[in-house]
Amino acid sequence: MTEALQFFLISWLDLKLLGLVALGTFAGIYVGAIPGLSVTMAVSILISFTFAWDVYPALCLMVGIYMGGVYGGSRTAILLNIPGAPSAIATALDGYPLAQKGQAGEAIGLSTVMSFVGGFIGIGVLAVAAPFVSEFALTFQPRDYMLLAILGILLVGSLSGESLLKGVFAGALGLLIGAVGLDPLTAEERFTFGMVELWGGISFIAVMIGLFGVSEALTQLHYIDKAAVKQTIGRIVPSWRAVGKYLPLSMQTSSIGVIIGALPGTGGDIAALMAYDHAKRITRHPEVPFGEGAQEGLVAPETANNAAVGGAFIPMLTLGIPGDAVTAIIIGAMFIHGLNPGPMLMIEQPQMFWFITGALVLANIFMLIFGLTGIRLFTKIVEMPRAVLIPLILLLSIVGAYAVNNSITDVYWMLLFGAFGYLLKTYGYQVGPVILGVILSRLIDENWRRAIISEQEDLGRLFLSILTSPLSLVLFGAVVFIFISQTPLWTGLRARFGTARARGDGV
Amino acid sequence: MKTLFTGALAALAITTAPALAEYPEKEIQGIIQWGAGGSTDTVMRAVTPHAEEVLGGKVVMQNMTGGVGAIAVKFASAQDADGYTLLMGAENPLLYKVMGLGDIDYSSFVPVNVLARGVPILVANNDAPFDTLEEMVAYVQENPNEVKFGSTGPGGLPSVITAMLQSQIELPVTAVPYDGDGPALTALQGGAIDVMPAVLGASIEAIKAGRIKPLAIIDVEANEALPDVAPITEAYPGFETYLPWGPFFGVFVKEGTPDEVVAKLTEAYAAGVENADFQQLMNDRGFEVMNISGDEAQEFLDKWQSVTSWLVYDAGIAKASPEEFDIPRPE
Amino acid sequence: MHDPSKKMPGETAFAVVLVGLSGFLLWQAILISGFEALSSPGAFPMAAAFAMLVTSVAILIKTLRLRERMALRFFTDVAPPVILAMFAMMLGYALLLKPLGFLPTSLLFLTVSIFALRRRGLLWSFGVSLASLALVYVIFRLVFTVLMPSGIVPEGEILAWLGDLFSGGDAQ
Repeated sequence: MTEALQFFLISWLDLKLLGLVALGTFAGIYVGAIPGLSVTMAVSILISFTFAWDVYPALCLMVGIYMGGVYGGSRTAILLNIPGAPSAIATALDGYPLAQKGQAGEAIGLSTVMSFVGGFIGIGVLAVAAPFVSEFALTFQPRDYMLLAILGILLVGSLSGESLLKGVFAGALGLLIGAVGLDPLTAEERFTFGMVELWGGISFIAVMIGLFGVSEALTQLHYIDKAAVKQTIGRIVPSWRAVGKYLPLSMQTSSIGVIIGALPGTGGDIAALMAYDHAKRITRHPEVPFGEGAQEGLVAPETANNAAVGGAFIPMLTLGIPGDAVTAIIIGAMFIHGLNPGPMLMIEQPQMFWFITGALVLANIFMLIFGLTGIRLFTKIVEMPRAVLIPLILLLSIVGAYAVNNSITDVYWMLLFGAFGYLLKTYGYQVGPVILGVILSRLIDENWRRAIISEQEDLGRLFLSILTSPLSLVLFGAVVFIFISQTPLWTGLRARFGTARARGDGV
Repeated sequence: MKTLFTGALAALAITTAPALAEYPEKEIQGIIQWGAGGSTDTVMRAVTPHAEEVLGGKVVMQNMTGGVGAIAVKFASAQDADGYTLLMGAENPLLYKVMGLGDIDYSSFVPVNVLARGVPILVANNDAPFDTLEEMVAYVQENPNEVKFGSTGPGGLPSVITAMLQSQIELPVTAVPYDGDGPALTALQGGAIDVMPAVLGASIEAIKAGRIKPLAIIDVEANEALPDVAPITEAYPGFETYLPWGPFFGVFVKEGTPDEVVAKLTEAYAAGVENADFQQLMNDRGFEVMNISGDEAQEFLDKWQSVTSWLVYDAGIAKASPEEFDIPRPE
Repeated sequence: MHDPSKKMPGETAFAVVLVGLSGFLLWQAILISGFEALSSPGAFPMAAAFAMLVTSVAILIKTLRLRERMALRFFTDVAPPVILAMFAMMLGYALLLKPLGFLPTSLLFLTVSIFALRRRGLLWSFGVSLASLALVYVIFRLVFTVLMPSGIVPEGEILAWLGDLFSGGDAQ
């Protein structure tokens, strides 16, 4: 135990390591905030950069970037309605309306504190229950991933705004966009029209930057001569009372984050969206309606995506299985530094586990510190004249889309989706479901096919397997419940039942 | 501003000067065919810094993924043959022609170095009702199509190994496709699939920890990393014709690159592979270091292409016959 | 901005386009592998495209039923000249990026668009553009080593020369 504590504190007591975690976290916040710069990219560059270093300092920097980057995405989501990273998509839904009301400072403050809370819960689960959680994550079969993804796609219900029909259309379009390219399972061409440029599919980041960044910038052009929203910086750090009020919610959404983060193949983006949906479902009477600046809508995704960081490390440190793209690269880095991440790591080199846990806690604390300072400067961005801000956003969008895969084709896609997103918004469609569809497309497609192939193309056998596995059954139940609760039939029933009970109460 | 300008002029003067002796005079672009964190990525990022020391220049590595690596190959072949674009890839492009993934493969490139070769191994879920290859074959034949084999799509290592097995043994299995060997090995531990033909390096840690069990090494002799696991040829000597076979990693430049540049790169990467740290890394991961270049590398690539193309074609998973591309059938 | 009880200019046309797009994509999805198996590569795209077609037809019917129109015009309220012009500039940027190179194209794009939108002096616009471009360049090109197309500027050589200059300085 004392040994574990000793390893845990390595990065706390060494001034150089401490500084590197701080530097990483600080850089991560900006990497996360700029669309087109991703944590994945930053960490893979760090592999070459830290090649000659010892393993501890290299990991300190990577852990810091990861933690800061997941959080940083919320910055631009709140201020500009452009999520800096996929995990901040849900944050934009209620964060941006808050900035429009001049409460950007407050929104960033709340999201920072809640990211801290979420990050802490994620690390806590990592430290206490890692072996247990990773065994649980391994029990997920293709059919369970499929059900989980279907559960995810049902979020269209909470994201579609004024018209469910338009939301479903947008979601289905997203699923289709995600399917473009060489099929990863059979290398069959899908919607490629004979163009090699389309073999790799349409870059998800390019779609995201187009739909959010460019379409928002184009929309803002309508108000080019209006003065920018003046930001009132009152209270940045939320009161203890507010934090306490959201604690039950954040415990639940953090749990969602840890589990989704620990599952190989799903990460913070899906976790944040699912947490948002969960918050919307359980918050009966938000002070402000969701989509117009509800604080719950900010708390849920921000706790979940930072909790997913701790979650992603769980299968990585216990089994050598990456929980997401970033941990996959960190595994590569550990190999290069002569470590063998795998199930034996915990036994042969237990110090690595505690060292990373310690560095994560440290990064989480630095994230809180850096997150809460400099907010005033950040909110100034929104107060910049639109005539300067819009061209800059557009330039960053182009550079960002290009940077993802060094491809000019991605830039064209980004522009196309920018124009298309602008039209969608104008005609009352939401862009959220499109992105949701793109994120979930491969997860549904591949796991559906794996599940049905495993059952030798027999639907009956697949159902039997679902009904006889407790985990599948629970997920299936959740899918059915959420599906029914979104159909008009249920709302009708509930309305009648509700009024009947109200009348009964009256008697 | 003025210094920048003179700098630009100086730079222009260098580019117009005929002497290429100073290669590299700017950053070299390294295009990695597979995603960050994969084995190709890890190997390339591990060897390149050692090579840079000899090269005296910087190699900026970028991942360009998609289309089973075909997009990176196409990109690299569209650049100038000046040695400033390196293609860092694995074995897949040699199968593009027969798999219908375009007509650009390594024949449009010059091998700088074929770094290392992976050894395939057949691993199974711990609960699978067989412990050796023979037991597996017997069980599969008794329960046709019930045993699930992991796969990574047509042309991937598992599909080639499965085709190899099926060329000599009746083996009716269900192939469940995954995105790569990492996710498939995870699924193997969770019981979603029963058997996985994988590369030793990717599965070795899980085998050592007893989370999955090895059935046979697909090679002519046992491997140092796992001396207790029998090679496949012990039970089925007929496979010797195909072996040794395995995936490999290589660094390539476009055909037509000046000889001095190729020579300099070859020298640099050969030294990089020799580096003790890199050798250690490859040993730990169960890779066989090859470090071959020039004609030797070309010969290796040709043989690999011939054996594998015909194997997948005979197994019925290829789209076109190797004959169409003048790939000779192996003797 | 959008009021579901009233029709925006161009809304019907947009709904028609979406129906056409959905139909086309469904056709393309069927072409992938037909109806050969539940696990075929085309099964999931077909399902998604079918959902698109059904919903887009329903949306079109709903839109056609809307009688009341908003008192707006397409080219002043939905796609006013400023938006069209800006979009054209971005397209031009994307086209020029490869041949001209990142630095000159970006500088041109920023200067012209800021000048046109802000109408406050060409020099001022140029200055702001130069400063922000420098920042973008440092972050993307130098820190994150994203190789933007260099075009007519021999960037690689300049950087190498600068690098030599600094490393030479260190050695002395």
